[in-house]
Amino acid sequence: MPPGYPEAYLKGKPRWMSLDAVADFFYFGFRNLRKQLSIAVLDMGAVAVLWLLMNYVIIRLSTGQIGYTLVPWWIFGVGVVEAAALWESFGRSFGHRVARLELRRTDGREPTLKQKVLYWLLWHVSVLPLFPLLLVPSPHERGSGLELRPFTMEGRVPRPWWRTSTGIYVAWLMGVALTAAISVTVSWEDLVRLFTKAGTTAKFWRSFFSPDTSIILKTIRELIVTVFMAMTATSFAVLVAVPLSFLAARNLMRGVVGRFIYTVIRVTMSIIRSIEPVVWAIFFLVWVRVELAPFAGVLALFVHSVSDLTKLYAERLESIDPGLIEAIAATGANRLQILRYAVIPQIVNPYISFTLYRWDINIRMATVVGVVGGGGIGQALFFYLTGNLWQQAGTVMLFIIALVWGIDYLSARLRAKLA
Amino acid sequence: MARMLPAKVERGRFRRRLIALFLDWMSWGYVAYGVMYFLNDYWWRIPLERFYSTLTLPPWGWPAAVLGTLAMAVVCELTGYSLGERALKLERKRERPLTKEELLRGRAAGKPFWRTQWGIMAVLLLALTVALGWHIVKIDPEALIHPSPRAREMLSEIFPPDFRHFRVPDPAFELRGLPYSILDLMVLTIFMALLATVLGAAVALPLSFLGARNIMGFSPAGWLVYGVVRGFFNIFRSIETMLWAVVFAIWIRWGSPLAGIMALTVHTIAALGKLYSEQVEGIDPGPVEAVVAAGGSRAEVIRYAVLPQVIPSFWAFTLYRWDINVRMSTVIALVGGGGIGDMLFYYKNEGKWALLGAVVITIVAVVWAMDYLSGRLRERIT
Repeated sequence: MPPGYPEAYLKGKPRWMSLDAVADFFYFGFRNLRKQLSIAVLDMGAVAVLWLLMNYVIIRLSTGQIGYTLVPWWIFGVGVVEAAALWESFGRSFGHRVARLELRRTDGREPTLKQKVLYWLLWHVSVLPLFPLLLVPSPHERGSGLELRPFTMEGRVPRPWWRTSTGIYVAWLMGVALTAAISVTVSWEDLVRLFTKAGTTAKFWRSFFSPDTSIILKTIRELIVTVFMAMTATSFAVLVAVPLSFLAARNLMRGVVGRFIYTVIRVTMSIIRSIEPVVWAIFFLVWVRVELAPFAGVLALFVHSVSDLTKLYAERLESIDPGLIEAIAATGANRLQILRYAVIPQIVNPYISFTLYRWDINIRMATVVGVVGGGGIGQALFFYLTGNLWQQAGTVMLFIIALVWGIDYLSARLRAKLA
Repeated sequence: MARMLPAKVERGRFRRRLIALFLDWMSWGYVAYGVMYFLNDYWWRIPLERFYSTLTLPPWGWPAAVLGTLAMAVVCELTGYSLGERALKLERKRERPLTKEELLRGRAAGKPFWRTQWGIMAVLLLALTVALGWHIVKIDPEALIHPSPRAREMLSEIFPPDFRHFRVPDPAFELRGLPYSILDLMVLTIFMALLATVLGAAVALPLSFLGARNIMGFSPAGWLVYGVVRGFFNIFRSIETMLWAVVFAIWIRWGSPLAGIMALTVHTIAALGKLYSEQVEGIDPGPVEAVVAAGGSRAEVIRYAVLPQVIPSFWAFTLYRWDINVRMSTVIALVGGGGIGDMLFYYKNEGKWALLGAVVITIVAVVWAMDYLSGRLRERIT
């Protein structure tokens, strides 16, 4: 044994062989990968959106057609990647700004041009194959002597937004997007009609002051059906959503199985929630017999309410005060008792208030669901509209407005009382 | 002053008693309505009037119903089975309303709520509501389990969805002579929502300052403007986007995207205006006072004291509204608003379920992405 060396250096394993070091490598590596990749993806996405929109505008304004690309897809791909690389190397990119980072030298000073060029070149061999990003610091950062540091305004003069690259980008994006939107949705003759044909709606407004009295009783009956549709859908949805919300609360679902159930329920609910009640109504109107139209409407509202209420309830559950749970648990209570004395008192009022809110929405939605044939007042409205019975349609609209206004007021008052 | 106080309390109490009586009257009216409904539904079976025949009464029925329910309400007030008294926290033969502590103590020491008098009433009313709802809506679990033959056909066709026309326009489907693919219409729909949100926010922003009490409430004219703007917000908010779409579809043209945009814009102005102005009312008055003390005009107060405080939440509300507008614009075509809904309802009417599935999946993907994105952004902003 050579003299002068500590024994551990010679007999112990080197650090890189220990399990901790391997775990550390992957932990920090994946963190770095995630950071760099999300910045790159954000930048590429930003460039791609702007590019596509500009092409859209150019094609739309020059040919009147709808199109998305003027160049082959591989040129588009290379262009997007290259633009993102340039933006990240030579300026403070959109992704940097979102992540609140900036590119500086390791000693905190401004990078030189040579370093920026080096960073840009190495970016391609480091970010594009992805796996070099597992090294900390990443090869392109190490090679150029730069690093991404938390952004600070210290010792700097703030620049107005139009002198920052992200500001210019956002302004361009908004301008191009609005141009594209106007070019495709607004036509000249529609615009002319908007400013000259307001008189065509007079037949509605007139019926607001002289409603067709012969259909009032019938309309009230339909109104009652609509209210009961919303009420039934909401009450059944509450019965399903309350148990589901406990399974969809992150703080209550611990462990692998719990997290799995949580994820499954949350994802299902968010997918169900993205389908409008009207689309659900289309589905259920086919599903049940034709004469059960209100039932189909209720099913549509029910499905959408369950997903929405589960989300609202679960978010409320996630924000309960854990101190109370600990206090009750410290007295030796079992899970049921914890639920009864620590969780439920905290959530009863918000749950009732969410339910009222949802009931309010369901009444609005029930009128809309009726229009596709889901029964209630919406169906009556659609009947009069398709029959060109404007005065009757106006009368029904008057009733809908009164109902929605009343329910809105009532639920707002009740919710204010509960809060 | 001390002599006026009891009279005031007494008057308030009288009003509360009246409201309680009114609530009881209404709940008994509701019971009478339910009874009439079931009577009509099961016993009379008059074919023409059976259609939701809930308000058919003999000529002497109306006064009888009105007076009978009022009598029942009075009896309830006297015997204690009163929901109205409970709701207003009144108790019989008591000089003052119960305080919250007394109520809590009473509840903890006494019976469970379903054995109290008002609890029995509440449970009965709930049961009546469920039963009524069940019959009015014609809930039929059997129909849910055994789908119609059309539904089987739909289910067999909808999987897998047919994305053939995602990028290539469907020759069978045209809008005003132009071919559209699913992607084209989806982009158009997002643009509709974007335009409506931008326009709505641009109008709501100045209006929201006019509708904020702490900006306008310094002069009678200011109060007047405040009242007018707030009333405008409230009225226009309760008229739904779909109803506005009906109006604008008649006004401009059935199926024109501009009609949908205008409908969304009007509702957006009212909804955003209310949210914005509530935000303006909730600001910290300190900076406002500071700018006023420095001699700033009203415009300068808004620019230097109000705007910096409210801009993050304005962005959050606008994003939220954009999210809602995207959802709404996908179905606004139902009442002539244009957008991807045109295609949705076309395929639905034609019964092309596989193509409909593709449209629905596209909508879901976009709405879900918008929801996620706007949620993440709002989290960052606020």
